[in-house]
Order: sequence, then C-alpha cells, then structure tokens
Amino acid sequence: MNIIGPDLLVFGVDDVDACRQFASDYGLTASGDHRFVALDGTGIEIRSKDDDALPAALETGSMLRKTLYGVADQATVDAIAAELEKDRDVTRFDDGSIESKDDHGFVLGFQVTVRQVLDMPAETINAPGAPAQRGVNQIAVSKEDSPKPRTLSHVVYFVPDAPKQEAFYRDRLGFVTTDRFTHVGPFMRPAGTQDHHTVFFIQTPPHMKGIEHFTFHMGGPTDVVTAGTNMVNKGYQSFWGPGRHIFGSNWFWYFKSPFGCNMEFDADMDLHDEQWAAREAMPGADNSQVFLLQYREKWAPMGPPPPKAGA
Amino acid sequence: MSKRVRLCREDDIPDFCAQGFDPERHGFDTIFVVRQDRYYYAYADVCPHYGDTSLPWKKDEYLDAAGDNIVCAAHGALFNIRSGLCTSGPCKGESLRPIPVNCEADGYLWITLED
Repeated sequence: MNIIGPDLLVFGVDDVDACRQFASDYGLTASGDHRFVALDGTGIEIRSKDDDALPAALETGSMLRKTLYGVADQATVDAIAAELEKDRDVTRFDDGSIESKDDHGFVLGFQVTVRQVLDMPAETINAPGAPAQRGVNQIAVSKEDSPKPRTLSHVVYFVPDAPKQEAFYRDRLGFVTTDRFTHVGPFMRPAGTQDHHTVFFIQTPPHMKGIEHFTFHMGGPTDVVTAGTNMVNKGYQSFWGPGRHIFGSNWFWYFKSPFGCNMEFDADMDLHDEQWAAREAMPGADNSQVFLLQYREKWAPMGPPPPKAGA
Repeated sequence: MSKRVRLCREDDIPDFCAQGFDPERHGFDTIFVVRQDRYYYAYADVCPHYGDTSLPWKKDEYLDAAGDNIVCAAHGALFNIRSGLCTSGPCKGESLRPIPVNCEADGYLWITLED
C-alpha cells in the first residue's frame, strides 16, 4: 500500500470565520471556497458543522470529519478499496477517490495524491567544521520574515483502543510503527514516506475520541519559531512550545485553535526505513522533549543611558 | 486569607460575551467572566483536562459561536456557563473552578480571590 501521507483534513467547525482567519494567519493560502493549502497543495477544508457536504460527525462531536490520504497512483486507491471492502463499506467517487472508515469510525479517504514536489532549500546554517550552507554576505533572518507551511505533516488522534487502531493501520493499510509510548500508543508512518510519523494514536477514554492536533512541516526550526512568534503577535495563544521532541526529533510549537484541537508548527523530523527498530519509552514530560522553551515579549539588556561621570 | 479585587464596570463586558482578566498581574489572564444579561459567572482560566493550561485560542475567546457554552480551544471541551460543568470533551464530568463575583453598588464587578 503506497500511501504517502495526509493530503487533506476536512473540518466541520463551529465558527467558520474564526477558523478561516486562523488558517490564514497560520500561513496557509485560501484555495477555492473552502480550502486552505500549504506550499505543496496539501491542506485543510473548513466547512460549517451543519454543511450537508460533510461526512457525519463522530458521536463525541470532534470537528475533524475526514482524513484524506494521498497515495501514489490509482492502482493503489483500487487496492485499498479492495482490501477494505472485505469487511466494510467503501464509497467510490467520480474523481477516482474512495471513502471508508477505520475501526474507530474515523472517516478516511484515499486519492491519487495532490501533493506537489517542492524544490526549495531547507533552512540553512553555518557551523564550524562543515561547509557553509549560506555563502558569504548571505543573511539568515529579518524581522519581516513570514514563513509558510510547506506540507501537511501529521495528525494525532485520541482513540479508545490504541492497539486495535495500530493493528488496523498496520495490517490493512501498511503503516509501520516507528516508536511507541508505553500504555499510550504508537507513532506510525505509511509505506510511501520516510517521515517518522504521519499519525500518532493516544489511548484515551471513549468520550475523548477525536483529533488531538494536526501540523504542517516548516522549513526549519527558525521557521517554526518565527511563524509561532508571528501568531503570538496576532494574539493567538500558545499551548506548548517551542521545543524539540525526542521521538521524531521534530521541533514543535502548538497553538490552541478554533478547530477544537491544537494546531502545531513542526520542522526537521527524522526519516526512517525498514531497517529502523521501534523504540519504546514511558510517557511524560521528560521523554516528550529534549528541551522546552517559552515565549516572552522581546526584551534586551538595555537600560537608560549611563549617567555622565561626576554627574 | 482572601482578598477582594475590583475587575471592571458591569457594562464593560458586552452581554452574552466573556472577558479574561489578570487581577494578580501575572502578565496573562488567570480568570474570566461570562455575562448573561444581569448575571455574571467567573471561573479560573484553567482547563481541568491537564489542570494547568488556559482555555481560549485568543484573548477573550472563551465561548462558542452561539454563546451557549464555554469552550477550551485545546481539545474542544464544552462547559456549561452557569455551572462550569464540562459536558463534552476530555474532562467531561469535571468542572471549572468558580470564582465568587458580585456586582456592587458602585457599578463595578468585584471578585474574591483566595491566597
């Protein structure tokens, strides 16, 4: 199953205007009537919770209505349809995409990916001992920087039965577990990407079932912190970060959002292949991050001019 | 020990809206007040889910679009405005911590904070 990763997250929200403004300020670009997209065309769809075009909501009321995966080709879409039709309904749409549900009732879609191949540099650094990534007289930053999200990265779900969820994504969709928090759940990547994870499942009581957060990859840690600072300056409130995770090594900064879940900026995630052996760790603050920073308003060690000598 | 703190004039909070306050000057809002007509409901700005994170995604964004529920933006928990009880979301069945609030004869809202 050559699934690449999430192409689109479809939301049925309480406050469409607030969500559209939030998505725009986050750095996504409006596309058509309902979508906001990253630089590679992946993104989110924002509709009113009462919109008839949406799949039904989970019984918990989570605003995430559908996760639409991008896959390599139509043959992969058809193979997924054939696999899922063994034990559940699969809807086929005129555009070639399909829709079904996982074992917890989350609506899943699969389509030939819309993800465009990006050709742009990563954030660059200069370090002693290594070739300079930025040449002479090339500056790294300015106060006006407004970095854009590059691609839809991953989604984290609260699920009442994480082992069951892991088995479905592994056995039916070909996902691989890259790491795991004991008694919590697995980080998983589909076969078509080397990213450490495109999903993470968190074991919770059934009334919590839904989306925990979603995030887009940025161009590097400076982009994460700059984009987050721009959000703070627009009045949005941080939930967690900035910091750097251990599993996946990705930089993070989470913000509360009107989508009923947190929305994260992330960057610089580890890549893995079939040679990787999944690690396991106890959950908790110490194993969740190598460091955690906290925003404060700009400040500098400067007081008024010193008094003149003898004054 | 408890102390009384004057927050704002009664009419500074628009009807069926909420407002956050920083009465102890932490640099961020620590309580919020919801107004429904002549009634005011004050709570600590702490979601019971983790017990140490605040609710709104932006200053004063404590209510859903219809103004029917208090919302925690982190994971969409809904709380009854009058009781503070979480009716949906991660902390379902738990409650926001109420803060005593009164409209005084001087036309101001006063809250009582415990040390």
